[in-house]
Amino acid sequence: MLPRADEELVRPLLAQVSRFALESIDARAIDRASAIPQRVLAGMGELGLFGLTLPEEFGGSGCSLPVACSAVAELARADRSVAVTLGLHLGLGTRGLVALGTRAQHERYLPTLASGNCIAAFATTEPGAGSDLSALQTRALDDGTALVVNGQKIYVTNGGLAGLYTLAVSTPGLGGSARGQSLLLIERGDAGLRVEAEEHKLGLRGSSTTGLSLEEMRLPYSRVLGEAGGGARALGMILSWGRTLMSAGCCGAARVALEKTVAHVAERRQFGKPLAALEVVREQMARLTARAFAMEALVDEVSRESAETLLVRSLAAKVFSSESAWMVVDGAIQLHGGLGFIEDTGLAMMLRDVRITRIFEGANDVLLSHLGAGELLRATARTPLASSLVEGALASAAKDADALAAQVDSLRQSLHARFRVGVFRQPRWLHRLGRACMWREAIDASVRRAIRSGRTDEIAQVALLTQEARVEVAALASEPSARELVEQCLAQALPLPEVRA
Amino acid sequence: MRADPTATVDSRVVYIISQLVPVKPEQILAEHRLREDLGMDSVSSMELLSMLAEELDLDVGVEDIADVHTVGATIALAKTFLAKKGA
Repeated sequence: MLPRADEELVRPLLAQVSRFALESIDARAIDRASAIPQRVLAGMGELGLFGLTLPEEFGGSGCSLPVACSAVAELARADRSVAVTLGLHLGLGTRGLVALGTRAQHERYLPTLASGNCIAAFATTEPGAGSDLSALQTRALDDGTALVVNGQKIYVTNGGLAGLYTLAVSTPGLGGSARGQSLLLIERGDAGLRVEAEEHKLGLRGSSTTGLSLEEMRLPYSRVLGEAGGGARALGMILSWGRTLMSAGCCGAARVALEKTVAHVAERRQFGKPLAALEVVREQMARLTARAFAMEALVDEVSRESAETLLVRSLAAKVFSSESAWMVVDGAIQLHGGLGFIEDTGLAMMLRDVRITRIFEGANDVLLSHLGAGELLRATARTPLASSLVEGALASAAKDADALAAQVDSLRQSLHARFRVGVFRQPRWLHRLGRACMWREAIDASVRRAIRSGRTDEIAQVALLTQEARVEVAALASEPSARELVEQCLAQALPLPEVRA
Repeated sequence: MRADPTATVDSRVVYIISQLVPVKPEQILAEHRLREDLGMDSVSSMELLSMLAEELDLDVGVEDIADVHTVGATIALAKTFLAKKGA
């Protein structure tokens, strides 16, 4: 996962993180207690982790997103709750403030955020609004002297730990925007804010998740973060950081699950030989290894993108890495047999931990539809990977990746021709196109990484995964489940409800 | 519910928008931006243009909508394609 260009810079940091995790983080104890000990958070602060991407001027290290991804991945190897706490702080929690905050906001908040004395949280989800931001009910109304905030937020990661919250709220009329959303900075001590009780979760139990109630909060205008009424655009930028950091955590989890499984199948004997000698086991291991490689290649590459490109490619990274983390950890448990089901191996907790990654920071199904819509509007052509500079097995892998991209493009063209602009009212096809794009992005990043390394094992991993991708994309482009068939299946169990606008 | 087919293009466009966002038709202005002012996201603003093409039976391609970001631009798009249809 280590970023290439920053390798020399980051290696000492990662060694420190790894040592800290080994000495100070007890994942099972955190899981049992459903809390991260204060001494662990303090230790992370002393290491400078909470200030990793914050400006040096305010006590941070000014590191880039790839460096932060490496640190989060390293922590996720030891404990996903700790990794999510840090990733949320560096991504959704502080990204908006760093990028959009005023000088006064920076001076007020960044020093304590960088030291870890203040942890950041981000609150968007509401009882009636998840992925649909236009449905936000929490409102900040301008009464002429202040913003008056009322509403409720749920599932706020770091909610119970945070000293500063960035809230997405509806601000009708603010900044001349008739029905816009804005971001607000809320302090823990603000009158009218109530932090609700901790949620009891399936996984990530050490990570704090609470609701927030906001009742007649009066905030000065100086608490608006960025452009008033411009929250939707700012949210995209912030979420793209958050998704990428979350994806990095998935990489760390998958890698450690894979390492445990490599050790287990080499040692465990069945039918008179190690599991690692069985052909069926070897094939499963190869597929899991290829997944872990592709996740890392994609997240590493996406983390280096410009803000504009990151917006779209982070969708692919998030969906691919969360699905793959689930697949790898599940596969690891399968290959551990009954032992994998026992908490002592750490895999059972890991499976519980990674399950949420397909849901939070944007449910995967919604993100795939966005990815598909973005692909339909894409203006720039993809650069082919096959060229005279690569040869042998690499050339073959590059050609396969180009063929996969051609399949995706063919699907895109056919949707353009078939539905014209009406394609945006075809959620099933947007979703399918999004999934096809996800595969193209994962394979392209993997090929580029294999080209750089020249390692034969990585080239083979790409080849194996590209086979899988091409079969799935071909299936996505066909009509295996017509809408009519779906409705017939559900005629008794779940008749289509009437939807009123 | 469909827009009144006898109404003007402007009011039909506004009516369709009001079906997608909780804003009353009389509050929707030509200068309103679909995303910033009306709270649409990238997918719902594209869905609006899809609905429009369907309601008015227009042959609009994805390539035609790249620069449509306001209510006024949406109305102009509809008028352009209605004129093409009538030509």
